[in-house]
Amino acid sequence: MITSRRTTAALAFLAGGALVLSGCSADRGGEGGTGASSSAGTTSATITAAHEQEFNSYNNNTADQNAVQNVVVLNNVLGGFWDFGPDGGVLDESEFGTVEKTSDDPLTIRYTFADDAVWSDGEPIDCDDFMLTWAANSGKFTSTETDAEGNPLSGFSSAGTTGYEDMNAPQCAAGDKEVELSYATPFADWAGMFGAGSILPAHKVAQGAGVEDLIGALTSNNSEQVNQLAQFYNTGFIGTPGTVDTDNWLSSGPYKIDSWQAGQSITLVANDQYWGTPAKASSIVIRFIDATAQAQALANGEIQVARPQPAQDILSQLQAIGDSVKIDQGDEYTFEHLDFNFEGAFADADLRRAFALCVPRQQIVDNLIKPVNADATVLNSRYKLSFQEGYDQVVGASYQGQYDQPDIAAAKQILDSKGAAGTPVRIGYQSPNQRRTDATALIKASCDQAGFDVQDAGQQDFFGGGLANGNFDVALFAWSGSPLVSGQASTYVTGGGNNNGKYSNPQVDELTTQLLAQTDVAAQDTTIGQIESVLWSDLATIPLFTFPGLQANSTNVTGPSFQPAQSQQTWNDDTWTVAQQ
Amino acid sequence: MVAYVLRRLLISIGVFFVATFMMYLLVANAGDPLEDLYGITDPGDRAARIASRTEIMQLNTPVVERYFDWLGGLLSFLWGQGTLGVNRTGQAIEPLLGLALGSTLRLVVLATVLAIVTGVAVGIVSALRQYTSFDYTITFFSFVFFSLPIFWAAVLLKQFGAIAFNDWLGDPVVPLPVMVVLAVLGGLLAVSLVGGRTWARRGASFAGGAVVVLGVLLVLSQTDFLARPTLGPAGVSVLGLAAAVGITALVSGLANRRVLIASLAGAVVGIIVYVSTVGVLGDPTWPFLIGLFVLTLVLAGGVGFGVGGIDRGRAARAAVLSAAVVAALSFVDWLMFAWPAYVSSSLGRPIATIGSNTPNFTGTLWETTLDSLTHLVLPSVTLVLISFAQYTRYTRSSMLETMNQDYVRTARSKGLTERTVIMRHAFRNALIPVTTLVALDFAAIVGGAVITERIFGWRGMGSLFIEGIYTVDPPPVMAFFVVAAAAVLLLNIVADLVYAYLDPRIRLS
Repeated sequence: MITSRRTTAALAFLAGGALVLSGCSADRGGEGGTGASSSAGTTSATITAAHEQEFNSYNNNTADQNAVQNVVVLNNVLGGFWDFGPDGGVLDESEFGTVEKTSDDPLTIRYTFADDAVWSDGEPIDCDDFMLTWAANSGKFTSTETDAEGNPLSGFSSAGTTGYEDMNAPQCAAGDKEVELSYATPFADWAGMFGAGSILPAHKVAQGAGVEDLIGALTSNNSEQVNQLAQFYNTGFIGTPGTVDTDNWLSSGPYKIDSWQAGQSITLVANDQYWGTPAKASSIVIRFIDATAQAQALANGEIQVARPQPAQDILSQLQAIGDSVKIDQGDEYTFEHLDFNFEGAFADADLRRAFALCVPRQQIVDNLIKPVNADATVLNSRYKLSFQEGYDQVVGASYQGQYDQPDIAAAKQILDSKGAAGTPVRIGYQSPNQRRTDATALIKASCDQAGFDVQDAGQQDFFGGGLANGNFDVALFAWSGSPLVSGQASTYVTGGGNNNGKYSNPQVDELTTQLLAQTDVAAQDTTIGQIESVLWSDLATIPLFTFPGLQANSTNVTGPSFQPAQSQQTWNDDTWTVAQQ
Repeated sequence: MVAYVLRRLLISIGVFFVATFMMYLLVANAGDPLEDLYGITDPGDRAARIASRTEIMQLNTPVVERYFDWLGGLLSFLWGQGTLGVNRTGQAIEPLLGLALGSTLRLVVLATVLAIVTGVAVGIVSALRQYTSFDYTITFFSFVFFSLPIFWAAVLLKQFGAIAFNDWLGDPVVPLPVMVVLAVLGGLLAVSLVGGRTWARRGASFAGGAVVVLGVLLVLSQTDFLARPTLGPAGVSVLGLAAAVGITALVSGLANRRVLIASLAGAVVGIIVYVSTVGVLGDPTWPFLIGLFVLTLVLAGGVGFGVGGIDRGRAARAAVLSAAVVAALSFVDWLMFAWPAYVSSSLGRPIATIGSNTPNFTGTLWETTLDSLTHLVLPSVTLVLISFAQYTRYTRSSMLETMNQDYVRTARSKGLTERTVIMRHAFRNALIPVTTLVALDFAAIVGGAVITERIFGWRGMGSLFIEGIYTVDPPPVMAFFVVAAAAVLLLNIVADLVYAYLDPRIRLS
């Protein structure tokens, strides 16, 4: 009994004590220290965009690092004499510097950096930076290493030497803001050189390579020093996830790279050393998010700008969000086309015409592209895409609409008159690719009526094997376009590197040579129209459609807009602003 | 036993070589690693890009030779000079692997622990209430969860758990029909759990459950508890003392007054620590918090030992458990205190659908913890849903088997209380087979949760694997494979050893 009463008393004491204790509540420490106000302030000036892949290199010009995920980050971090404009065309960046053609023969260009243009560490942007860009992309500086056949390897790795390889060494001295550049051979795309992202901080490359005089080393082609420079240029800017190399990753644009959380996001902040129009939002965050997750992240306010790979279900998810999201649909700089193999049955121009007459181009666009881009149209040019300036002029000069809709009867008539009914047509493409399988099925449904025997010849190593070996009658694939003309040229000239179907027409060869030497950009469209006219009458290839693109942004943010070039959604992130919340 | 482990390891090494070789061949032949480069229009540029990638990926070397190069690099780790190679852009794999592993562990460990705790608890109750409506309901739902396509469930969770929930938080009122439906469900749950032989008793259980649910919902709906949640000192104390009583009931039964006093004293120690540190915990560091936690447990254990009398051991255990519960409640209380500030900093949308944290988020320890938790909640729920089923089913059948053993009948016929029979004799033995499952599950989590990671934007082992496959790039895939395979092999051995230790009837030979 006594124990029991004592127990009860002890229990009562304990419980009561606890309640009394808990009653005398002290002040919570650190209440003022909560990050509410400060983090809210930062967040409101921060705009977050999503991209599917994680950044990997500050130097996007080397052959092994060049990738879209770097462009997304480096837009408006690294400047240049031009950048892709709203329509995907070449837009001069006059704040960075000016470009002036001073002579046509030899083609000579004067580049002038803005007087107050400096890297974000205060070092002026001038001659040495220009020299490095030229040297790195010219392919003229060889490594001491050789390949299996004993030929010296290129020292600097470059994702593209076109144009740079035709230049003579730039003329300038250390510290010069003005550079004279002449071409050994005339080059049509001279306006597309030294663009945004191509100019890197040469003083950092020199420092990293341990070379005192970069300009001297390059002009005298001191092979040991050039080797060191190339070594650093090729590998010194590759990123380790999570680490921002603040020493070397300098900025020459409105933003600079501030922080990087591995696997999650990279953050840009306004570059206080930028001399031109400052960025409108103090900070841009690029989060690495799978395309399928972007719509819901946008709906939940975690990102404000999304650019997923276009797909019908993603589009309908975005549309379901409602008024708080603006959706942009447009074209990308890539176009799908059918290439004839001129070493097979399609060497016969009549058969090509019969095939072109039965390919349901409008139906392919309606069924496969319009679900993701309601404004999609059939593409009628190989050099110009429908959103590009000059497209209508080129198409008007070369194509009369004869292949807009299939004409089965006409195709059948040609086949019957040639006695070619039942001609097998193997359509080759890289599989698996659902859209190309569907396109092939549509072509088969239409052309089999005309008397062809269309076969789906999708192969897993089509690019590696089938295309180069001519193992196809018709090849179905895409070229990436660009506002420049030089890339397309080799596709249609005799023996050209892209001429997989072995098409050959001396007239096209001659016109192409003329085009590549045409330094007056405005006159190029006329020549392109002439080339296209021949290509249409020969039916060298059949263009089908441009790839659709999809971008969406929260209406809390103003500024983001769709641009067809491969600069992705951040192309104009320096003009993004947050609307009042 | 040493011989056993050595033999298992030797067999494993053979399996390991064969498996890595096959994996390497499969990945290397999964497609064309240069595919994305063929569309480059300029032939010179294309050739340069292809040459560069061919060089990095050694594509001119036969794939078998590449495998042995890779294997050589891996084996060199034995003398500290190893390498896992580079991916196709030339980045070294080791740091990538480290980051991926860290990210995966952060994501999956919490979910796995939650799945084990809830799965085992529900499985035990389900077994004890065999063939009741509760048992059938749990069986039904665990099979539903088990068969859910994860990508679909995850997308629905994001839609309702994050987007719709965040919208609702803007004006957190529970509509009346929803309230009624939830109350009915609560009543049914109470009936199935408590049971009762007569209709009157069942009716009482139903009413009790419904009223509790309704009351909680009304409070949530009418006060702004969700906007400014708090337990406060009173809440922590009341819940803590109640937990102390519950712990006593499980550990020794309420009749054991010594243990009850010790358990309550442990709770009081926890409450004292909570109240006295309110002034200094505004923005603590993790070591400080952990130190405080350990100190509290030691103090509670001491007090329990002191008042425990002849039943010292059990009293101390009950006291420590009670103090731990109070500490957990205090932690939750602090998080609740930081909640309003966190919600406003996330612009009123706290629950996240992607990523492991808000980029560049800074704040007190409580706020950053909240930030992690709001990002963890949906992927964790997704993962728990999947593994919940196997834990409940496994535990349930194991428990049922144990309950039918002769020694349980003997214990009952000795006149032991049902609590003692279940907690001491049945429960512990029922857990032995479950340990195997736990070990294997931990091995599986190192491999990551490929789909969950992808959908919720965590770049862990899963994305290392899947991106490697997509880009036909063997080194990242092999890094993933080595770690995942090693975890499975090792934890299999561990599972066998633990099993033999827990169940003396089993001998390793």
